[in-house]
Amino acid sequence: MEARFEKYISYPIGLLVALFIFSAILLIMGLNPLLSLEAIFYGSFGTIFSAGETFVRVTPLLLSALAFLIAFKARFLNIGVEGQLHIGALTAYLVASQMEGLPGGLSIPLIALASFIGGIAWLAISLVLKIKLEINEIFPTVVMNFIAMFIISWLCTGPIKDPNALNPQTKVIPTATWLPLIIPGTRLHVGIIFAFFLAFLMYLILYKTILGYEIRAVGLSSKAAKHGGINLSKNIISVGLLSGGLAGLAGMVEVVGAHHLLIVGFSPGFGYQGIAIAALGGFDPIGVVFASMFFSILLIGGETMQRGAGVPIDMIHILQAVLVLSVLIVQRWITVRRQK
Amino acid sequence: MIEILTAILSGSVILATPILFSALGEIYDERAGVLNLGIEAIMSLTAFVSLWISYSSGSYWMGTMAAILVGGLVALIHSFACVTVGINQLISGLLILTLADGIANFSYRSLSVTPTIEPLKPINIPRLSQIPVLGPILFQHNIFVYLAFLLAVIFGFILYKTTLGLKIRGVGENPEACDAAGINVNRIRYLCVILSGVMAGLGGASLTLGYIGLYGRGIAAGRGWIGIIVVILSRWSPYRAILGSLIFGLGYSIASNLIGMGVGVPYYFLLMSPHIIALFVISFMFKRTKGPSALTVPYRRK
Repeated sequence: MEARFEKYISYPIGLLVALFIFSAILLIMGLNPLLSLEAIFYGSFGTIFSAGETFVRVTPLLLSALAFLIAFKARFLNIGVEGQLHIGALTAYLVASQMEGLPGGLSIPLIALASFIGGIAWLAISLVLKIKLEINEIFPTVVMNFIAMFIISWLCTGPIKDPNALNPQTKVIPTATWLPLIIPGTRLHVGIIFAFFLAFLMYLILYKTILGYEIRAVGLSSKAAKHGGINLSKNIISVGLLSGGLAGLAGMVEVVGAHHLLIVGFSPGFGYQGIAIAALGGFDPIGVVFASMFFSILLIGGETMQRGAGVPIDMIHILQAVLVLSVLIVQRWITVRRQK
Repeated sequence: MIEILTAILSGSVILATPILFSALGEIYDERAGVLNLGIEAIMSLTAFVSLWISYSSGSYWMGTMAAILVGGLVALIHSFACVTVGINQLISGLLILTLADGIANFSYRSLSVTPTIEPLKPINIPRLSQIPVLGPILFQHNIFVYLAFLLAVIFGFILYKTTLGLKIRGVGENPEACDAAGINVNRIRYLCVILSGVMAGLGGASLTLGYIGLYGRGIAAGRGWIGIIVVILSRWSPYRAILGSLIFGLGYSIASNLIGMGVGVPYYFLLMSPHIIALFVISFMFKRTKGPSALTVPYRRK
């Protein structure tokens, strides 16, 4: 139990460091940090609608973080979540737009399946290169991100663009394919329940199944795991399928849940934020649930701060990066000192 | 036809420059055993910083110095996290990515003006620049281009022919032995990580001051990542990095020239082409590449 101490103490320390830097930057700019913080809290929880927005945003963040996490557990660094979720969103749109007249109970599972496969397809090249040629997955996954984003930009400004729209976006998908709302008057859709359920499912997979045991064994030492009789290729394929699929679903919830269409820039870097969230959550599925809620509060509140206090939302990204870096540094620092 | 070819080849030398800068820094960094995945964003950040400082001070020199300073400072955070404390280098690099991008966009949007500058004028090398075809391709460029290729040679020389180079290679291959031989492993690593930031800073400066003249979100557009890919493609050699970055420079140049000519291929496909090249390079040329043995392993005395 003692080893837990550094984990918990690191969070308040990290938060203090992040808040200190946040306040310092705003003070230098001649802005009031307290007013900005108030805007963040009001913006994320001030009204039923804004609280709904906060949970709407949790969904893709949590799914992206889970996608990164499951692969990271087996030391497979899927930096391509961003690209996979773009392709997941694209497949969700393409399938949903063909579902005119079908009841949602039938079409939504089909869309989910398509997005899951779409995300996997986008990871497949990197997966094959890793298994067949032992090529580090970092580089193909990153390159595929750029390619995916250019494809979406091309499609949304050309072939599938809504001719009547000013923005680079598609037509709205049939209403039957929209995810049902939980609270009327907000945009909060059932995707959040689905995401929480998947987080819990991942906890069960990782800690209560043989597959999870093998994934963690490979993550700790692939050599030892191999000697212990674990098939490494099979293991990487398993985490790859789960990771790419979850990333695809993260894209899907944005199309059928939040926007009801595909628009360029629908993801303000969910895939990259997922990495920071996974690290903040201690690479633990339940920890990641809380970390993604915290990130969402900052992001949604940050939009209010941008409008109200005139502080660009990018301040939130700085705050998040400083927070996670500080937390990791403190955790590591205490662990090393204890070992001495 | 010959004009177009000359323009494409000359462009590829210019467009290889930021990639070469970042690759050179990353080579030293990785040779010493540290991976810096943040250089893409350090490039974007320093591209902004150099533009802004040059715009407000009127001096490109000041702008470049500021880019070097900021690049080095951001890399210092990375080296503190990875070398001193020893957190996961990959995660740290990815967080540096978010941090530097955040700082760049935050500062840009906090400005009340939109800084733009006239890109640096080319310096024609006497005589050499007059050679037909070869002159415009190689000897009519801005100062950053010459600096990048000169530094590649200097970096290669230092790495292979000097004691410092031997130490750098040593701490990346066998830090225990180096420590036993009295080399301060972490000091060498700090030096190389900071150097990777400084070089990414030069890369960023060469992008705005030498080529684009203005800033936009995500201005590095994958050049930092491609720099890291060039590192592996060139098997961690500064000399081969020249060739590696020219391949990608050519990709970028063909794309931008075709965009300029308005050919019938969708714009986004042309923008994508360097990344398609990167994917091919990774798929066919990364097989059995093995980096320095101690890459991504923090060093701590037993």
